[in-house]
Amino acid sequence: MLLRRETWRRFDFWLFGAVLILCIFGIVMIRSAIAGNAQLAESVTRQIIYVSFGLVVLLGTALIDYRIWASLTRLLYGIALLSLIGIYILGQALFGSARWFDTGIILIQPSELVKIIMILVLADYFTRTAESPKNLAWILRSFILTAGVVVWILLQPNLSTSIVIMVIWFSLLWISGLPVHYLAIFVFLAAIGSVLAFPYLADYQKERIISFLFPDPNARHGNVYNVEQALIAIGSGGLFGMGYGNGTQVQLRFLKVRHTDFIFSAMAEEFGFVGVVLVIALLVFVILRCLYIARHAGDRFGSLIAYGVATLLFFQTAVNIGVNLNVIPVTGLTLPFVSYGGSSLLSLVLAIGLVESVAVHRTTLDF
Amino acid sequence: MHEPMEHPHPFEHWRLTVFYAAIAFVIGFYLLRLFNLQILQGANYRIRAEDNRTMEVSIPTQRGLIYDRNGYILAKNVPSYNVVITPAELPADEGGIQEVYRQLSQLIGVPVNNGEINEETVRNFTPCATDLGIAQIVYIGDTNAPYSPIRIKCNIDQQTAMIIRERAADLPGVGIEVESVREYPTGSLTSAVVGFLGPIPASEEADYRARGFLPNRDKVGFAGVEYSLNDLLIGQNGKRVVEVDAAGQILRDLEPPEQPMPGYSIKLTIDTRLQAAAEAALINWMDRWNRYFGEQRYTSGVVIAMNPKTGEILAMVSYPSYENNRMARFIPAYYYEQLQRDPYRPLLNHAISAEHPPGSVFKLAAALGILNEGVVTPEQKINDPGKITVEERYFENDPNPRTRDYVCYIYKTTGGGHGDLDFIHGLAQSCDVYFYKVGGGYKNEVPKGLNIWRLGEYAKAIGYGRVLGIELPGEQDGLIPDPDWKRINVGENWSTGDTYIATIGQGYVLSTPLQVLVSMATIANDGKLMKPTIVREVLDSEGNVVQPFEPKMLWDITQDPVIHVYDENYLQTGEMKTVAPWVVKKVQEGLREVVVSGTASTIFEDFPIPSAGKTGTAEYCDNVAQAKNLCQPGNWPAHAWYVGYAPFDNPEIAVVAFVYNGDEGARLAAPVVRRVMEAYFNLKEVDAESVGGSVP
Repeated sequence: MLLRRETWRRFDFWLFGAVLILCIFGIVMIRSAIAGNAQLAESVTRQIIYVSFGLVVLLGTALIDYRIWASLTRLLYGIALLSLIGIYILGQALFGSARWFDTGIILIQPSELVKIIMILVLADYFTRTAESPKNLAWILRSFILTAGVVVWILLQPNLSTSIVIMVIWFSLLWISGLPVHYLAIFVFLAAIGSVLAFPYLADYQKERIISFLFPDPNARHGNVYNVEQALIAIGSGGLFGMGYGNGTQVQLRFLKVRHTDFIFSAMAEEFGFVGVVLVIALLVFVILRCLYIARHAGDRFGSLIAYGVATLLFFQTAVNIGVNLNVIPVTGLTLPFVSYGGSSLLSLVLAIGLVESVAVHRTTLDF
Repeated sequence: MHEPMEHPHPFEHWRLTVFYAAIAFVIGFYLLRLFNLQILQGANYRIRAEDNRTMEVSIPTQRGLIYDRNGYILAKNVPSYNVVITPAELPADEGGIQEVYRQLSQLIGVPVNNGEINEETVRNFTPCATDLGIAQIVYIGDTNAPYSPIRIKCNIDQQTAMIIRERAADLPGVGIEVESVREYPTGSLTSAVVGFLGPIPASEEADYRARGFLPNRDKVGFAGVEYSLNDLLIGQNGKRVVEVDAAGQILRDLEPPEQPMPGYSIKLTIDTRLQAAAEAALINWMDRWNRYFGEQRYTSGVVIAMNPKTGEILAMVSYPSYENNRMARFIPAYYYEQLQRDPYRPLLNHAISAEHPPGSVFKLAAALGILNEGVVTPEQKINDPGKITVEERYFENDPNPRTRDYVCYIYKTTGGGHGDLDFIHGLAQSCDVYFYKVGGGYKNEVPKGLNIWRLGEYAKAIGYGRVLGIELPGEQDGLIPDPDWKRINVGENWSTGDTYIATIGQGYVLSTPLQVLVSMATIANDGKLMKPTIVREVLDSEGNVVQPFEPKMLWDITQDPVIHVYDENYLQTGEMKTVAPWVVKKVQEGLREVVVSGTASTIFEDFPIPSAGKTGTAEYCDNVAQAKNLCQPGNWPAHAWYVGYAPFDNPEIAVVAFVYNGDEGARLAAPVVRRVMEAYFNLKEVDAESVGGSVP
């Protein structure tokens, strides 16, 4: 199968190329963002390992026919649920709360993988129900399927990943034909739900939202300070930036979490408007390419996978850049492919691998 | 089985379009926002980034020193060690913090916990002056600025400071701050002249900031020469513009650093030894009489000694004074309040800021005037029957004159007068009636007196009624009244009696002890009025003289026409005249006679060096006296004055002594002046010997 010509003929090199450039750009940027911090010194090597490993995962996934996953959704769903419940109980018992499994080599964050699993599970659900009536039962079943895993992620507590999965659910629901009158009810319920849910949020989550809505201009640390420093970093970049390794906000460490959540600001300072527009263009290109593959997929399941991945990439990109630009409250979402972090990168290249698989296996197999 | 190559479009087209639109909208919005931040506002943010990484560090300069005329140090800078804690650098765990507190408490004796934190204690919290425990102080510091060191205890001894430094590894977060504080070795002896420092006042903060001084660190003069010569002493802080990282760590200089310029040092004209002698003479003499009376009758006074030929102030005692070393680190509120409430006003330099009636020492002005204006001749005898009755006229040809008695001071004790007196003996005996008659005119004996207008001219010519310009803050100008002044301020016409009592330095006349001294020094110096000065030399930080001493003469009354000429209606003619040198000589003779046969003859009986002087007993009735119910008609309380100079033929020193409520000049003030003169000549001898001794 590996040697078949049409496999490589249909492989989307444009998508792969863009992702590769973004990953390399991320490594380059992380190298600058270390800024003499000894604790971060290893992150470049680690990210290189993640990216290399990730490319293998991507190619491997691309070669496996995505249709296999359709038959495995029950198993995958079970794994997702088990790992989430496992980390919740283990975390409660040992540390009071946890998001990671420490394997000794890398920390595995199951919720990152669950995002991909949920794309597959929901794509499968909406494929199988494509011809069913689009009634409330249809909606509720998909909701319960999603909420079944999301509740464990919420309990971690990890609000941002929970929201990402809910957004994927909603986006797939939408494209599968959510009737517009239900949409209106949904928007209404979501608005009421978020207001009612606010008191049940963890303190740090409330604080993030409050400090976004009512910033304290004199804060010397914390989220408001971080966002303020991010704005200064972005603004001071100007048109062409201060140059690689010369951004004062980055190199003198005024910009916090600059290798992960705020790597966009670091790029903006060192490469300027031109640099970030280029990066945004690459990310948009990746998203559009996923949508292109979705439109030209061999079947509905493949389309929904590619579409779900596009949603995931777009939502993470939009939220991360939005936080950097101070238009939405601080969340822990990373910039796809660029931010430092093994779990996040691996789950995203896995997602791209699935999309490539959809592209490669566009036609049914000849017998 | 063959399915079509291309799967039919899986999604409803419009639903996908909505998704594309969402992407376009969000990305479009972000691009606009980026354009706004980076291109439109880029320059502003670039400035803020610059602001983040650059920090101006002020390098403190050294305040100039203050010496006395012999190089004896009166104000210097000494290091003071403060224990500080940086809250953010304390151990992370509560147990570790408590351990640091416990160890530190044993070393410096500040309790770990004391007092409670509430709104009031936090508001009243002053570092260095608090009863709170370490934990409470750190709590306040942590709330305000966790990364700034907060002072736990100030001015610990050097040894403890070294111990704490050595144990830095065991005491994370604890540090030693070295602060330069002012020390005044002579303390209260010279505090009226030297003054003290305080924090930059809020009203001048902007000004000092512009000159590179930091309100919370740098100090400025609040009194004495520390205040008046602050601009010379203060120097110029250095400046570094450095690059800092987010933790505030200094990485490098962005500009070549500007080194601080130390302030100039000041050599005063004061001789500390003479100052000590003068203070001792005043206090001991007042004490002696207080013991004699068995009550604290004499509590405050002034002694000033000056070189009449140069105007140099050799000693200036204002008693009671204050301990300026207590203000060295900060101004303690209770002490300052106590000083301010003290009725004898120790914060006031009485030598230049207190205005009192001069009494008979003011007769110098009339003495010059009557001879120079030809009111009487030196030989002309005036009769003092002890008491004269005068018709008080409030204007020319007043039809209803009130009659009033004017007595000479000896009338109270002897019931008689001095008899017939010429000029010299009138002055020597300080005969009030003599001066009434020549000052205001008396019947046919002195048909036309000196008059208040002309009296004022001569008083001003020898330094009364104006600020003399000594380099100390708060100098007052006194008061030489005239009829215009009285009409404006009292609402009454000038009367003959007003002239009588003004002639003997009573009534409305007010003067500072410094003015009294300068008036005598002007006579001693043959009419040359030298500007009184406290500054001998200005030195740079290496001790080189940048401004040498140069005596400054304000005027010479025998050379410079400083006296307005009046016509018969006492209107100024516009002409000016001088004082004839023979008049000054005659006055000098009269003042010599005071010591030989006059009011101060017993005090100076066996004084080996010929001197001259004038006693003064100035009746007063101020708020203090009224509170004590001392103002009895005909028997008012009085201040004691004596002002003199020596040697008579070649004056080197002029001294004034003033004792508040001192009853009698000859008894309370003159002996003090004599002792200061003795001390001066003794010191001169000692200095001559030591200079002689050093010659091989």
